[in-house]
Amino acid sequence: MTRAEVFAVVQNNILEVLPDLDPALIEESKSMRDLGANSIDRADIIIETMQQLTLTLKISNFSGISNIGGLVDFLFAQTNAR
Amino acid sequence: MPSAPCNEDVVVTGIGITTALGIGVDAFTRALRLGDPASPPSHSGGLLLIRDFNLLAFWNSLHLAKDVSPSVRQAARRAPLSLQLSLAVALEAWQNAGLFHDAFYAPEQAALIVAGHNLNLRTSYELAEKYCSRLDYLPASHALHFMDTDQVGFLSEALGIRGEGFTVGGASASGNSGLIQGLRQITCRNAQVCAVVGAMTDLSPLEIHSFTAAGAMAPDGVCRPFDRDRRGFVYGQGAACLILETAAGARSRCRKPLGILRGGAQCLEANRSAEPSPEGEARAMRMAMTYAGVLPSEVDYVNTHGTASVLGDQVEFDALSNVFGDHFPNVWLNSTKALTGHCLTAAGALEAVATLIQMNGGFLHPTAGLENPLAAGGRFVGPTAIDATPRIALSNSFGFGGINTSVVIEHIEHTEVF
Repeated sequence: MTRAEVFAVVQNNILEVLPDLDPALIEESKSMRDLGANSIDRADIIIETMQQLTLTLKISNFSGISNIGGLVDFLFAQTNAR
Repeated sequence: MPSAPCNEDVVVTGIGITTALGIGVDAFTRALRLGDPASPPSHSGGLLLIRDFNLLAFWNSLHLAKDVSPSVRQAARRAPLSLQLSLAVALEAWQNAGLFHDAFYAPEQAALIVAGHNLNLRTSYELAEKYCSRLDYLPASHALHFMDTDQVGFLSEALGIRGEGFTVGGASASGNSGLIQGLRQITCRNAQVCAVVGAMTDLSPLEIHSFTAAGAMAPDGVCRPFDRDRRGFVYGQGAACLILETAAGARSRCRKPLGILRGGAQCLEANRSAEPSPEGEARAMRMAMTYAGVLPSEVDYVNTHGTASVLGDQVEFDALSNVFGDHFPNVWLNSTKALTGHCLTAAGALEAVATLIQMNGGFLHPTAGLENPLAAGGRFVGPTAIDATPRIALSNSFGFGGINTSVVIEHIEHTEVF
């Protein structure tokens, strides 16, 4: 799976939780909080993404990540570490 | 016996309703007058289900889009069905009461009561099926949604309510219990306006099966309240909302009330079982009338609990006969559950709304399925609606666990008051 594909999965799941969001606003430099996702929305997005990437990581692993680019980097690294 | 610190009338100034019979007050009213039980495709396997409900389309049909914040609209799309129905009826009622663009009441003076419990059983069941062997992927939002008070929070955000708010539970009497608590919010001056939402209990296959196993549900899926051939209740999905405030408040806001919530009462039976008690039911009706200051001889209509339970209908009939005595043959009786199915925790709120709609529409709806009354002496509305203008009505709801409730609703002749 390429990094771009991981980004697409994250983007789709953000839109599942925030269906009214303009997809063009989902940029790597932004945080999910910037886009209007609350803490439970963010957990739902990450859990659904892990399910689609067949990853099982504790949600606490994601606490230090500050933006969408960082989230994609981390997930991409995890998919390649298998 | 509850006493009323403020002796001002508490009136209903807004209603919202959604059932398998009709989505929204207008559609529900038309169907109620027609009086056919919700027919296929809603009627499926003995369940009166709301199919393909689209909350945003419903809000759009009421031109409510501008009154819904983007965050509420977005979150509502992912909300469980029970919460979506509560959002539908609460916003419809709030709009009906003219409260969206009225600063008359401060948000801190508005209260919210969600009547109902175990609202998301089907969602929990489906999540358990899907995630039992892979809990790591269970959505975090289940932590919000499994609690019935999620509806309190969500509705308060949607309506901008900042006063007191809570859920009220009373099994099939929850709706009436919510109305009684809402009445007290106003009479105790704890709030100046109160939204009471009878919320839908979304049953899972477990609960439907257990009701069937207990012999409570009609095996043929046909609801026949008070008929000799009644065989049990038919489960219906639905929700309803009533907006309560003082008559003086409504007058100041130039709103015509739909009716007066004169009073209500709840009493227990010191009995945990599902068995109904004629003494307990009669006592609840008498207490409600005492609170309301009306005599049995002044009541001209009862919206019965009338689930089509074999024992329950007989017990309610006996209790009504006992309470009204010589006046009983004059009191019109029908059962809204014949048309909507038994909407469980929402039933009380839903039937209070149905009572107000009938009073204001000058009709009483048919009791579908009632062909041969279980006993002589009851003045049942038969297979077709009748023209009638009931002035004072009781609406009964009785729940498992000996939870007996009745509320008193009075029609307002607007030509005299306004």
